[in-house]
Amino acid sequence: MRWFLKIISLLAVLVSIVYLGHHSHSSQSTLQKIQKRGYLLWGSDAEGGAPYVFPDPHNPLKLIGFEQDIAGDIAKQLGVKAVQSQNAWDSLIPALERGDFDMAMNGIEITPQRSRKVLFSIPYYVYSEQLVVRKDNTDIKGMADLKGKRVGTLSGTVAAEMLYRMGGVNVKIYSGQVEPYQDLALGRLDAVLLDLPIAAYYAKPNPALKFAGPPVGEGLYAIAMRKGDAEFKQKIDSIIANLIRTGELKRIYQKWGIWNDNQKKLYDSAAQTGYVGLNESRSAPIAGFLPMLLKGAAITVAISASSMMLAIGLGLVLTLLRLYAAQPLSSLATAYVEVYRGTPLLIQLYILYYGLPNIGISLAPVMAAFLGLGMNYAAYESELYRAGISAVPQGQMEAALSLGMTRGLALRKVILPQAVRIALPGITNDFIALFKDSSLVSIIAMVELTKTYSILAASTLRFFQFGLITAFMYFVMSYPLSLLARRLERKLKGAK
Amino acid sequence: MISVRDLQKNFGDVQLFKGVSLEVEKGQAIVLIGPSGSGKSTFLRCINGLETFHGGEIIVEGTVLHPVGGNRPSRQDADEIRKVRRKTGMVFQHFNLFPHLTVLENIILAPVEVLGVKKEDAVRHARSLLERINLNGKEGSHPGQLSGGQQQRVAIARALAMKPEAMLFDEPTSALDPETVGEVLSVIRGLVEEGMTTLIATHEMGFAREVAHKVIVFDEGEIIESGPPEEIFTYPKKERTRNFLSRVLRL
Repeated sequence: MRWFLKIISLLAVLVSIVYLGHHSHSSQSTLQKIQKRGYLLWGSDAEGGAPYVFPDPHNPLKLIGFEQDIAGDIAKQLGVKAVQSQNAWDSLIPALERGDFDMAMNGIEITPQRSRKVLFSIPYYVYSEQLVVRKDNTDIKGMADLKGKRVGTLSGTVAAEMLYRMGGVNVKIYSGQVEPYQDLALGRLDAVLLDLPIAAYYAKPNPALKFAGPPVGEGLYAIAMRKGDAEFKQKIDSIIANLIRTGELKRIYQKWGIWNDNQKKLYDSAAQTGYVGLNESRSAPIAGFLPMLLKGAAITVAISASSMMLAIGLGLVLTLLRLYAAQPLSSLATAYVEVYRGTPLLIQLYILYYGLPNIGISLAPVMAAFLGLGMNYAAYESELYRAGISAVPQGQMEAALSLGMTRGLALRKVILPQAVRIALPGITNDFIALFKDSSLVSIIAMVELTKTYSILAASTLRFFQFGLITAFMYFVMSYPLSLLARRLERKLKGAK
Repeated sequence: MISVRDLQKNFGDVQLFKGVSLEVEKGQAIVLIGPSGSGKSTFLRCINGLETFHGGEIIVEGTVLHPVGGNRPSRQDADEIRKVRRKTGMVFQHFNLFPHLTVLENIILAPVEVLGVKKEDAVRHARSLLERINLNGKEGSHPGQLSGGQQQRVAIARALAMKPEAMLFDEPTSALDPETVGEVLSVIRGLVEEGMTTLIATHEMGFAREVAHKVIVFDEGEIIESGPPEEIFTYPKKERTRNFLSRVLRL
C-alpha cells in the first residue's frame, strides 16, 4: 500500500505546483502580488466568449478578443504579462471575492447591486442592447413589439432585467450566448435581446438573422475588483484613461467591429487593424484546434488518475473502519458512504468549491476537483472492497488466526489480497466511470477536455465536429480500460 | 498438557456445554466421536480460541483461557489466546488453505510473520515437512491445483511449521473423496506414532479404534462416555453410545 500513498502525494504535489501560483493568499496588496508573480491574473469566461475573449481559430491555445487586448495593454503598463483565468460567467464575481484572480473583466455591466459587492473601474465600453430577429420576420421592429413574444437572453444580464421590467414578454433565459441565436434561427424564439458586441459577433454574420431597429438602452462595462483594493483601482483607472487618451481603445474596438458613436462619449481619434470574425472562426482548419483539445485531455487524465488514487486509498480506510473499528467510527464511516452515494456529485462539487469559502475554506479549482471526485468515488470503492472482503470465506480468517496471526496481520496477508482480486474488475469499471464523470469538474473553473470542447464549440459554432472529436478522444482513452477490466474478470473466473 | 475444566458455552439461549472437563496428557492421542451437532467441533474450536466460552477454564501448557462470553476478548485475553494458538496446531474440515499463495508460501507465512523465523530457515523447514507428507515437488503449486487429500496434507504441514506441542484435527477427512482419505489418515497416524499430542474429531471409526489412546463420546454437549477404544467399541456402557455406534457402524 505504501507505493500508492507515494503516488498520491506525488500527484498532489505536481498538481498543486501547477496551480499554486494562481492561488496564493497573503497580506500583500494585489498590486504587489502582481509585480512579484510577474503576471496579471484576470477572470473571464472564454466559453461563448466571442468577441470579448475566445480561442484564436489560428492558434487555439491563444486567446483573443477585445477584452484580451485590453487586458494585454493593462498588463503591459503594469510591466507584467496577462494570464486569463477561466471561470463560468455567473461565478466571476464570487470567484473574484474568493481571491481566485486579481480582477474580472468580461462585459460586466455596472449595476447598483454589483457596486455593493465589488469595486468598479472607470468604464471601458458603452454597450447597448441589440434586438435580433429572423430575416423573414416583419412584425417585430423594436422593443415595443415584444409583448407576448418569446424573447431569449442571458441570465443575470441587464438585457434580462429590461425584458422583465417591460412585462408581458415571454422571457427565455439561457446560460450561453450561442444557444439563443440558434433557437431563434430554428424558430424556437421570436427575438433575442443581447449586448451589441455579442450580436455583432454571433448574429450579424448569420444570414438567417437580422437586427431589428437601432440599439436600445445604454450601459457601461467596467473592470470589477475586490472591495478594499482601492490602490489597485486607482492604478487601473489611470491605465484605462491613458488607453482612452491615446486612442488605443478605439483602435481595439474598431478592430473588433464594435466601435460606434456611443463610444465617442468616452473616446476620440482613430486607427484600424485586423479583425477576426465568426466566419473566420468557422472556417479555420480543425487540425489547428487539436493541441488545445489534447491539453484538455491531459488535464482530464491527470485529474482522473489522481482522484482515483485518492478514492482507492480513502475507500480502503472507510471499509476497514466499517468492518473492524469500534463505534462510533464504524457508523461514521457507514454514514459517509451513504451520504456520498446518496447525493449528486455535482452538488458535492458546488459545495466544495463555492460553498466552503462561506466558512473560510477556499480551495483551488484543481484541489476541489481532486477532492470532490476522489471523496465521491471513495464511497463506491468502499462498497466494492466490502463486497470483496465478505466474499472471502470465514474459514480464511479462522485459519490465519489459528496460526497465531493477529487480526491485522491476517487482514493484510490473507484477507485483503484475496478481496482485492475479487474487487479488481469493479475497481477498473469505476475508474472508467470516474474518467467520464471528471467532465463535471468543468463547472468549477477547471478547463479539462469537456470544458475545452464547449469553449471551442461556442466560439466557432462547430458543435458537431468538435463534439465527435471530443467524444472520440474520451473513447480512445477509456476503451483500453474496458479491455483491461474484461481481462481481469476472465482471469478471476479462471483462478476460481 | 491440556486441561479443560467445567467448560460452559451458550449459543444464544441454548446451553451447549453445561460443564465439560477433560485432561489430556503429553503424547496422548484422543479421538472425539459422536453425532453431528454433539459439540465435538465446538469443543476443539474452544481450545484453539476460535470460540469464546461462558464458564470454566482451559489451560494449555500453563497458559489459561478465561471465559469472556459473547464479548470481544480484552487485549490481555487476546494475547493469551495467541499464545495458546502457537502451542496448538489446528486442521480444519475444509482445509482453509490460502488460495492466493503457493504451497510453500502457505507453509512459511506464519513462521516468518508470527515467529520471525528467517525466510531461508522457514523454507528449509517447509521442504522437510513437504517431504514428510510426500508432496515434494509441489512447492510452487497453488491450492486450487491440488486434490482434496493433497490440500489437507499441506494444511497439516502448515500447522506443523509452527512447531506446535499439540495438534487439533476438526473432522479432517469429512470433506474428502473416499480414495484420498487414506493418505491423510496415514499422515496423522505418523504424527501420533512420533508422540505428538493429538485431539481428533472424526467419523472414521476404524481409524479411531486403531490410533486412539482414548476415545471420548460426545452427545448433546456432554461427554457421555470415555475410555480405551476396545472398551468403547466392544462394550459400550451407555445406551446412547450403543445407539450411535450401531448407526455409524452399519454404514
